[in-house]
Amino acid sequence: MTLFKQLLGNKKALVGLTILVAIILIAIFAPLLTEYSPTRRVGRPHQPPSWDHWLGTTRLGHDVFSRLVHGARVSLAVGFGAGLMITIVGTVLGIIAGYKGGVVDEVINFFTNMVLVVPNLPLLLVIAAFVGQAGPVVIALILGFTSWAWGVRVTRSETLSIRQRDYVKSAEMLGEPSWRIMALEIFPNLISIVGINFIGSVIFAVIAEATLGFLGLGDPNTVSWGIMLFNAQNASALSVGAWWDLLSPCFALALLGLGLALLNFAIDEVANPRLRTGGMLKSWSRMVLLGEGKL
Amino acid sequence: MGVRATMSGLPHPLPSSPVKGEVPPGEPGKIVPEPAERKEHKNMAFLLRRLAFYLAAFLAAATVNFFLPRLMPGDPIQIMFASAGSELSLENLNALKLTFGFIDAPLHEQYFAYIKSVFTGDLGRSIKYFPLPVTELLGRALVWTLGLVGIATLISFAVGTILGVMAAWRRGTLFDSAVSLVAIFSSSVPAIVVSLILLFVFGYTLRWFPNGYAANPLLDPGFNWTYISSVLYHGTLPMLTLVIVLTGGFAVTMRNNMINLLGEDYIVMGRAKGLADNRVMLFYAARNALLPTVSSLAIAMGTVLGGSLIVEVVFNYPGLGNTLYQAILARDYPVIQGQLLIMTGAMLVSNFVVDLSYVLLDPRLKKA
Repeated sequence: MTLFKQLLGNKKALVGLTILVAIILIAIFAPLLTEYSPTRRVGRPHQPPSWDHWLGTTRLGHDVFSRLVHGARVSLAVGFGAGLMITIVGTVLGIIAGYKGGVVDEVINFFTNMVLVVPNLPLLLVIAAFVGQAGPVVIALILGFTSWAWGVRVTRSETLSIRQRDYVKSAEMLGEPSWRIMALEIFPNLISIVGINFIGSVIFAVIAEATLGFLGLGDPNTVSWGIMLFNAQNASALSVGAWWDLLSPCFALALLGLGLALLNFAIDEVANPRLRTGGMLKSWSRMVLLGEGKL
Repeated sequence: MGVRATMSGLPHPLPSSPVKGEVPPGEPGKIVPEPAERKEHKNMAFLLRRLAFYLAAFLAAATVNFFLPRLMPGDPIQIMFASAGSELSLENLNALKLTFGFIDAPLHEQYFAYIKSVFTGDLGRSIKYFPLPVTELLGRALVWTLGLVGIATLISFAVGTILGVMAAWRRGTLFDSAVSLVAIFSSSVPAIVVSLILLFVFGYTLRWFPNGYAANPLLDPGFNWTYISSVLYHGTLPMLTLVIVLTGGFAVTMRNNMINLLGEDYIVMGRAKGLADNRVMLFYAARNALLPTVSSLAIAMGTVLGGSLIVEVVFNYPGLGNTLYQAILARDYPVIQGQLLIMTGAMLVSNFVVDLSYVLLDPRLKKA
C-alpha cells in the first residue's frame, strides 16, 4: 500500500497512469464514444479525417476511430491477460528456483536459459501459424506459454538475495513450512520486481499481438490494433495516401507503450530510492535488452 | 554488476569473487597464482559447456517443430502439407513426409527420423516454391538479413556505447538527461511503429528513399559501385529503424555499467595520479564497463532478429522476414518451421561468438 501511495507522488507515475487510465476508460466506454459500428460499412472508402469521421475511413468504409477505440478492448485484454499469465508463471517458478536451490533450481534454471536463447518472435510465429487464424484468447495463451523466462530469471536472482536475510532465516528456525516462507516472507518483498515484470509483460504482449496481427496470423474478424495494421497494410494504405488508416493504430501502440513504460520506471524509482539516478534506466535496459520490452 | 552476474544465471566467465587463485590450506590469505595451462583448460571447459547447452537449445527448437503439427487437432500430415493441394506428385510428397518424420513407425522413431533430417541439414522443400529446398530459400534470404542486422547492430552498439560512456562521465548534466530521455523514447516505441512511420515520412511523403527491395531491380547484382550504392540506398531506412530501436538500450546499459564503476578505487587512483580525463574515462572506466555490455549484446540478438523480421516485411526487403511473411500467407509450413531453426541457429552462433569474445576480452582470463 505504501508503494502505491508513493507512486501517486511520482511525476512519471502520474503521467504514465493518466495515459493508461485514459486508454482503459476509452476501451470500456468505446460504444458510447462513437455512433459507428467498428465492423459495418459507414462511409465511402478511404475518406481522410473529417468532422464525420475523426480518423477517416478504411478501404472498406469502416470508421477508423470506431475501430481504434473498440480495438483497444481486444488489445488491452490480450495485453493484460497474457501479462498476468507470464507474471504468475515467472514469479512462481522464480521464487521456487531461488528459494529451494539444488536440483529444483538447476532444472528450472536450465529450461529458463534454454527458452531465453530460442528467439521469441520466430517461436511465436511458428506456433501461431499452426494454430491458424488465432483469436485473441489463443494469442494470449501462446504468449503466456512462451514468454515467462525473463520473469523467472529476474525473480530468481532477487529471491537468492532475499533468502539470506535475517527474517527468512528466523522463519526457517521457527520451522515454518517452505510454502509459507515463500508466500509470506519472500513474495511481499518482491512486489516491485513483480510489478515491473507485469507491466513489461503487458507492453510485450500488446506489441506481440499487434505484430502477429500485422503478419496475418490473427483472426481477421476481430477488431484489434494488430488486425487494423494488417488490414491497412493489405489495403496498401500508405501507397494510396491513406496514412490515417495505418498511422492511427501505430500512434495508439506507441502511446500505450509509453504510458506503461513510464509507470514501470516510476515503480523502480520508488522501490529503489538509492538507484534514483540510474535505477529506472537500469530496469528499462534489462527489459529492453532481454527482449521483454518489445519485439 | 552483482545483480547482472547472478541474473544472467549463465556459467559466467567473469567471477565476482577471486576464484582464479586458490588458497591452499594452512596458508590462509596467501594467493597462489594459477598455472597458465590450467587457465586454458578452464576456458576450454567453459566453451565446451556452452556448446553443449547450445546443442540442447537447438534440439529444443527442433522438438517444438516436431510436436506442433502432431499436437494440432486433425491429421498432422494433412495440416503440414495442406497448401500443396494436388500439385505434388506422390513420390515428392513421400520424400517430404520422410524428411519431417511422418513414417509408419512409433512416435520415438518418427522423432529420431526428423531430428536426423535436421542435423543432416535437410529441412525439406518449400511447397510454394517447390522443389526449392528450404535451406536454399532461407539461405539466400539470410544473407540480406545478416547484412542488415549485422551492420545495424554494429552501428547502434558503437553509437550507443559512446553515448553511454559520455553520459555516465557527465552524470547529472543536461547532456546526461538528454541522452537518457532519448534512449527511453527510442526504446519504448516498437520496431513495427518506427518502421511504418519512417516509411511514411521518408518513403512516401518526402520520397527521399525507396519503398522496397534491397536494390534497384533493373541492376545486375555485381561487385561494382553502382550496385553497392543501390544496396546501401535501399538499405538505409530498414537499417535506420533497427538503429533507432537498438541504440537506446545499448546507451543505457553502458551508462549504468560505467556509473557503477566510477566509484572504484582504480578510477580514483587514476585521477589522483593526474592522468588526462579522457585516458581515465576510456582506458580505466569504459574498458571495464564494456564487458557486461558485450554479454548484453548476445541477449539483444533475439530482439534484433525479431525486429528485422518486422522491418523487412514493412520495407519489402528480401530477407528472412519477408520470405517468412510470404510463407505464412501461403501456409508453407516447411519454410515456417525452417526459419525457427535458422533463427535459433543464428542466435546460438552469435551467443557463442560473444562467449569467445568474453574469453578474449577479459584481461583476467587472458594472461597472468
